[in-house]
Amino acid sequence: MRIEQHPIITFNKGRKVQFTFDGKVYEGYEGEPIAAALHDAGIRVLGHTHKLGRPRGFYCAIGNCSSCLMVVNGKPNVRVCVEKLKEGMAVETQIGRGDIK
Amino acid sequence: MNKTASVVIVGGGISGCAIAYTLAKKGVKDIVVIERDYLSSGATGRCGAGVRMQWGTEMNCRLAKYSIEFFERANEELEYEYDIEFKQGGYLIVASTEKEVNQFKKNIALQNSLGIPSRLLTPKEAKEIVPHMDETKIIAATFNPKDGHLNPFHTTQAYANAAVRLGVEIMKYATVTGIKVENGKVVGVQTDKGYISTPVVVNAAGGYSQLIAKMVGIDLPVYSERHQILVTEPVAPMQGPMFMSFSLNIYCQQTPHGSFIMGRGDANEPRDLRITSSWHFMEEMAKTCTELLPPLKELRVVRQWSGLYNISPDRQPIYGPVKEVEGFYLACGYSGHGFMFGPVTGVVMAEAILGETPTIPVHMLDKDRFERGELLLEPSVV
Repeated sequence: MRIEQHPIITFNKGRKVQFTFDGKVYEGYEGEPIAAALHDAGIRVLGHTHKLGRPRGFYCAIGNCSSCLMVVNGKPNVRVCVEKLKEGMAVETQIGRGDIK
Repeated sequence: MNKTASVVIVGGGISGCAIAYTLAKKGVKDIVVIERDYLSSGATGRCGAGVRMQWGTEMNCRLAKYSIEFFERANEELEYEYDIEFKQGGYLIVASTEKEVNQFKKNIALQNSLGIPSRLLTPKEAKEIVPHMDETKIIAATFNPKDGHLNPFHTTQAYANAAVRLGVEIMKYATVTGIKVENGKVVGVQTDKGYISTPVVVNAAGGYSQLIAKMVGIDLPVYSERHQILVTEPVAPMQGPMFMSFSLNIYCQQTPHGSFIMGRGDANEPRDLRITSSWHFMEEMAKTCTELLPPLKELRVVRQWSGLYNISPDRQPIYGPVKEVEGFYLACGYSGHGFMFGPVTGVVMAEAILGETPTIPVHMLDKDRFERGELLLEPSVV
């Protein structure tokens, strides 16, 4: 789902690009937040809580809340709500706290 | 509301709560702890919370060893319903100068003679313990697996809960405004919540101990200095021990939660009571940390804060009664290691107040050692 028309924001969409989410190919617009492309693809679960593993979705949308931490191109703890989508990105669900070793 | 107490302890940090608990356990009734804010709101809750036996003086080694052995059994002994989160991942203290290596060799000989299992490591051996360090920046290291860190809020709460169960009263959000002395003896404490008649006052006010001592006319030879810390986002466990360097000025640990907590000293700090945070610290900390532990550059900083070291002339605590005022006791001047000495502080102070034979003789840590010129200078501090 996308908002096509907005009273005060104009969407200058980039070109259509492909990326993968957990190995499956999806399409989005270059330069939009990764989370926007995932949302458009119907993906609502982005992260999981550390202790109980409960699903967490799109929440603050400004890089503050840690609800959307995912692994992007092998790098953990990427805030997909503020990270821009690029051609060929590999986005994965993050298990646990993220390993930076 | 006015009342009477047998002992009034000023300060609701680890020291105040441990002293209250130990006195109550020995059967003392009517103990009151006065805390200006919430428990652990001062240096206790602001500290790096590392605990180490690797010190450079026999006194500090013995005090620390006693305390760490208590932390090992604290959950059970204090019957705490949660967990003090004691993680004994050791302390890896790295050396970057020959002078430091020589000091460490002396420290290890001293520590081993006191039953502390520390040992000297090559940079390669050190890297096996902290694989993400840049071992080319160091020339040696020391490691003691018994060192570690724990949660200062939980630890203080564990003491406080146990003390309250034994009948101790904890007055939070109460400020001491004066201490009444008559004929050279303490007779009471004035607070903004009433007057308490008492023959004994313990000054466990951390960074504010000099202000409390002034209330009985004593100029303590201590000053308070801001020390800053930061905490990062959590990541998967990757660092077992506390990583520390005196010469490179860093201590850095990963908590059980996964976040990294790190701090460093600053020789140019003004000697006042401010506890603000600075950009300068953030920049210097980031530089030092990422040079020595490069993968940590990937971490985002969640927040930073600061607290007060209460620094004594020889960087060791001041314990015991004072000659000027009967009934006035000091438990302050920890110089940055008051949290880790909490358990032993409780014991030696309770013994001093009750006139018992000390578990560890600490009479040489009295306030007057500075007048006598009998300093016990600690060489290994950040």
